Amino acid sequence: MDDEVADMNMALMVDGNAVAGELQQIFGRDMTTAVARCAGCASDAEMGALLAFTRGPGVVLRCPTCRAAIARIVETTTAIYLDARGAAYVRMGSRP
Amino acid sequence: MQPALEWQVGEVTRVRTETPRTKTLTLALPKWMAHRPGQHYDVSLTAPDGYRTERSYSAASEPERAGEVDLTVERIDDGEVSPYLDDVLMPGDQLEVRGPIGGYFVWDVSLGGPLLLIGGGSGVVPLMAMLRHRAAQKAPIPARLLYSSRSAQEVIYRTEFERLADGDGELEVVFTFTRHAPPGWTGYQRRIDPAMLDEVMQSLGNGVRSYVCGPTLLVEAVSNALVAMGLPAGRVRTERFGPTGT
Ligand SMILES: Cc1cc2nc3c(=O)[nH]c(=O)nc-3n(C[C@H](O)[C@H](O)[C@H](O)COP(=O)(O)OP(=O)(O)OC[C@H]3O[C@@H](n4cnc5c(N)ncnc54)[C@H](O)[C@@H]3O)c2cc1C
Ligand SMILES: [Zn+2]
Repeated sequence: MDDEVADMNMALMVDGNAVAGELQQIFGRDMTTAVARCAGCASDAEMGALLAFTRGPGVVLRCPTCRAAIARIVETTTAIYLDARGAAYVRMGSRP
Repeated sequence: MQPALEWQVGEVTRVRTETPRTKTLTLALPKWMAHRPGQHYDVSLTAPDGYRTERSYSAASEPERAGEVDLTVERIDDGEVSPYLDDVLMPGDQLEVRGPIGGYFVWDVSLGGPLLLIGGGSGVVPLMAMLRHRAAQKAPIPARLLYSSRSAQEVIYRTEFERLADGDGELEVVFTFTRHAPPGWTGYQRRIDPAMLDEVMQSLGNGVRSYVCGPTLLVEAVSNALVAMGLPAGRVRTERFGPTGT
């Protein structure tokens, strides 16, 4: 990736909090304060603090520490796909 | 349990011009719920051919105002959604929204202070919801707002900031202008930098909670600076609006 593309992607980046609506639609509760552990570097972050890229087809959430993809969300006309293989786990309070 | 997040159709009841590029829409919502200051609504537009697109807009009003919510929208000239919201919608029109959304970028008086709010351009919108709520609750929590705009003309909520800060010894609002300062201006006229942050924070003491909102590149720079100055990362909450403005 050349620098110009990298700069552009940087300017388009938002927070996991920006996709709170999509996450809430999938999980039925607010997920922005749930904690995701990165499968790559093992650091923890609230999902609202993940780096979100929303301008491609679907959404990619990345680890703020190592930038690895934690989760991808793609919505088609009939289904929502959630690929969360970049998360070791997601921890949420039992009483939302 | 939280109630399910549902789309609902609100009615525009008022449109107010804030700056040459910014308007506030008041929406009456049939399924209104109190928001936590900092939360946003998703707005959905559907074209006649069925094409649907969504954007997020922060609640600008305080949750004490029941039944309706203010959204303040900056027009991005080549944007898909904001020119429609600012230039086309009129009182009586309908708008599809869902919310309030997001528990991450929120503050209310129960969290306490001291409070450091840093906004660029339309990034001041969710911060205003926090300040309006703080005023509605008459909470004497020390608070500073550092607000970066291109020029004085582009300052959103200017007279209300003056009114809020007037007679509130715990609140200070500090402006910086990045392109044109008004004649005779003696305050800041540059982008927010660590020296400015340090001066604005000085009188706040320890345990500061900070909320940084605006164009992504501003939020990047400011949040990195705050962490470098020793604020715990968990106390630096960010809301990046994307490439929007500067
Ligand atoms: C949580 C949250 C809260 C927000 N709250 C507010 C608010 O209170 N008030 C407010 O005014 N805004 C707010 N925003 C921003 C808002 O959601 C929109 O992003 C903004 O209104 C622009 O939308 P648009 O459709 O008009 O422009 P878009 O069509 O989305 O384009 C915006 C700009 O980005 C450029 N751009 C878009 N996509 C690309 C691309 N792929 N490559 C290069 N350039 C691109 C466009 O050229 C244009 O200049 C918020 C954003 C978030 C995430
Ligand atoms: Zn990681």
